[in-house]
Amino acid sequence: MSVVTEVSSDGKKLTISIEGRFDFGRHHEFRESYERLDYKPESIVVDLKKATYLDSSALGMLLLLRDHAGGDSSDIRVVNSSSDVKKILAISNFDKLFDIS
Amino acid sequence: MPLEPLTILIAEDSAADRMLLSSIVRRQGHEVLTAANGAEAVEAFRQQRPQLVLMDAMMPVMDGFEAARQIKALAGETLVPIIFLTSLTESEALARCLEAGGDDFLAKPYNQVILAAKIKAMDRLRRLQATVLKQRDQIARHHDYLLNEQRVAKAVFDKVAHSGCLNAPNIRYLQSPYALFNGDLLLAAFTPAGDMHVLLGDFTGHGLPAAVGAMPLAEVFYGMTAKGYGLSETLREMNAKLKRILPVDMFCCATLLCLSFQRRSVEVWNGGMPDGYLHNIASGERTPLTARHLPLGVLNPQTFDDRTEVFPMAVGDRVFLLSDGVIDTCDAKEQLFGVERLQQVFAANRQPDQLFEEIEQALQDFRGEARDDVSMVEVSLLEAAQLIPPPLVYSDSGQSCPLDWSVNFEFRAATLKRFNPLPYLLQLLLEVHGLRAQSGALYSVLAELYSNALEHGVLGLDSSLKRDASGFTRYYQQRNARLDELQDGYVRVHLQVAPKDGGGCLTIRVEDSGKGFDVERVMARPVDGIRLSGRGVSLIRQLSRNASWSDEGRSARVEFFWEALA
Amino acid sequence: MADTHLDRDVLSALQEVMEDEYPMLLGTFLADSEERLSKLHSAGDAETLGATAHSFKGSCSNMGAVRLAKLCHDLEQCAMQKNFLEGIEKLVGEIDGEFAIIRPLYEAERQRSLADSAAVRRF
Repeated sequence: MSVVTEVSSDGKKLTISIEGRFDFGRHHEFRESYERLDYKPESIVVDLKKATYLDSSALGMLLLLRDHAGGDSSDIRVVNSSSDVKKILAISNFDKLFDIS
Repeated sequence: MPLEPLTILIAEDSAADRMLLSSIVRRQGHEVLTAANGAEAVEAFRQQRPQLVLMDAMMPVMDGFEAARQIKALAGETLVPIIFLTSLTESEALARCLEAGGDDFLAKPYNQVILAAKIKAMDRLRRLQATVLKQRDQIARHHDYLLNEQRVAKAVFDKVAHSGCLNAPNIRYLQSPYALFNGDLLLAAFTPAGDMHVLLGDFTGHGLPAAVGAMPLAEVFYGMTAKGYGLSETLREMNAKLKRILPVDMFCCATLLCLSFQRRSVEVWNGGMPDGYLHNIASGERTPLTARHLPLGVLNPQTFDDRTEVFPMAVGDRVFLLSDGVIDTCDAKEQLFGVERLQQVFAANRQPDQLFEEIEQALQDFRGEARDDVSMVEVSLLEAAQLIPPPLVYSDSGQSCPLDWSVNFEFRAATLKRFNPLPYLLQLLLEVHGLRAQSGALYSVLAELYSNALEHGVLGLDSSLKRDASGFTRYYQQRNARLDELQDGYVRVHLQVAPKDGGGCLTIRVEDSGKGFDVERVMARPVDGIRLSGRGVSLIRQLSRNASWSDEGRSARVEFFWEALA
Repeated sequence: MADTHLDRDVLSALQEVMEDEYPMLLGTFLADSEERLSKLHSAGDAETLGATAHSFKGSCSNMGAVRLAKLCHDLEQCAMQKNFLEGIEKLVGEIDGEFAIIRPLYEAERQRSLADSAAVRRF
């Protein structure tokens, strides 16, 4: 499984970890990871420590997640981005929508 | 699943063995054909096309190996399993069976149970192959339908796109003919004032979904540019449209340019595209035009940021834009071409006209083969006189038009902040047919008068700031900041059209609530081709008649005349 | 194992498969075998000898002639040796001898099965 989820013990934080290439092939798994919860977590963390590559479909998936989590009122952090991934997120200015580190 | 009866060919030279095997196979429910040697076997296959063959290895006339080769050749794509009958025990001999095209072998003495199992297994393979071929043909047919649909979509899109000016002498571009289906979009059009808008875009996704987003975008771009709307308004409309019609995970990265040959500047907005480059020919310096915004179609209209950056340009300077296909090109080791290598090509470039070829060559050397899905465009600033925009096309009959009227507008602070009245005013004036031939000059003059009134008058900006590149940036930053904070002030526009000598006269008066300026001093200055600022007044004087300023510079008046139409 | 001339189990399995054609199978085998034997005698080179022996071996094993099959195998192996001439005559002789033993056995089996089927048809 290249998309792994973990919910905090108090149920308030959902962590989604991506391993390998974050591209169109991950679409279904990624959506499942948050859609199968029957409630909206207060905060979501997307962990890209093991992600090797990010393309525009991954950006689209992040937008879907944000929309699902409440749009402007969502709290989503994208953490452990490698320098390559950070570059891609910077060019697309996604730091205006997500907290990126 | 019960086995369907098959037609099985038995090729065996020993009569007793042949008889025995035929009975065994018939008892299992199949139809049997027999042959006593390889040649008979091939002939029997050619005429009757059995589904499975039991082949003795050693036969006179033609042995089993050769017969197997010929039968496989006759069968072509269809799988006809061949089971060799053999009492060969050496593994080398068994390997020969498989090499000759045999799919399995059966040892003597014949074991009925094993034979039945092998026939069943081979039949399963045979049917699997048949399914694969059928599905392959289905896929090929579907693929043809899709290609045809794309051809049709492209034809429709080409009609929408042809209204542009990509063939203008100052534009050079490289684009794959199927760029649309990679999501790449390149548009260019003249504004009524003779400025040029250029858009290089990259939709997420491929194929029809990407192409479908491009059409409404192109319509907005061309429609608004032709009416004289600026970049910011056009961007707002394009973003709102895409946000409305595209699914959440689709968006369009884009760089937009507005090149003004008269003002010698380029206005830039980059949302999510790789750096563009502004090349200063005199100094050789390349200024990166970096993405400061999210792509189009992501933010809702309330949060969309339409702020642009403005840079000065000299005649001969160029803006170079490229799609991410260049940076993303990979070599065999999955290394990216990257920005550094692109910079190296820039640094090595001696002839600006060769830049495209040098980049393509560098990409090909890096990757080992040419890429056909890279988009590049280079726009140069030429002398305004070298570019002749195509004449506007009007859709009315020209029989009725207003010839004697006047109108006054007062645009106050709240309106000045968020509304550009110029396209509306121009459309109004173009109802007068006699003015249509001068629409370019009309728009340029109106725009110049309005921006002077707004920027120098109401906002109090000092045009001398625009003397160099960094001053330019500060000027436009100040402009946006002061506009955001504006509480009071107005710009008044008075238009009057009256008949004169069989033709007519248009009088335009623009007043602002600002401090005014020293009219005499500005009039006395010579018309200077190099200075970046102060060109507005001379432009107005050149393009219109009887330009005059009063009320300490707060009020400007110009006239336009036209003769009787034939 | 090689002492058994005829494997009766194989014969009954054959009869079950062939049914009415069982006697014909036995007759065909005997006719084939005569042909092969004369080929063995007249074979001019090691290759033809080996191929004939190989083919004969196959039929014999199908028909339950266990010992004869083994002898054919030995002959085939011998034909592949360099100094083959030495063993050949001896083996061919043994094959002749073995066939002479089993031929009447097959004949008897053929007669028996014909009689049995005639008896059945009476009803």
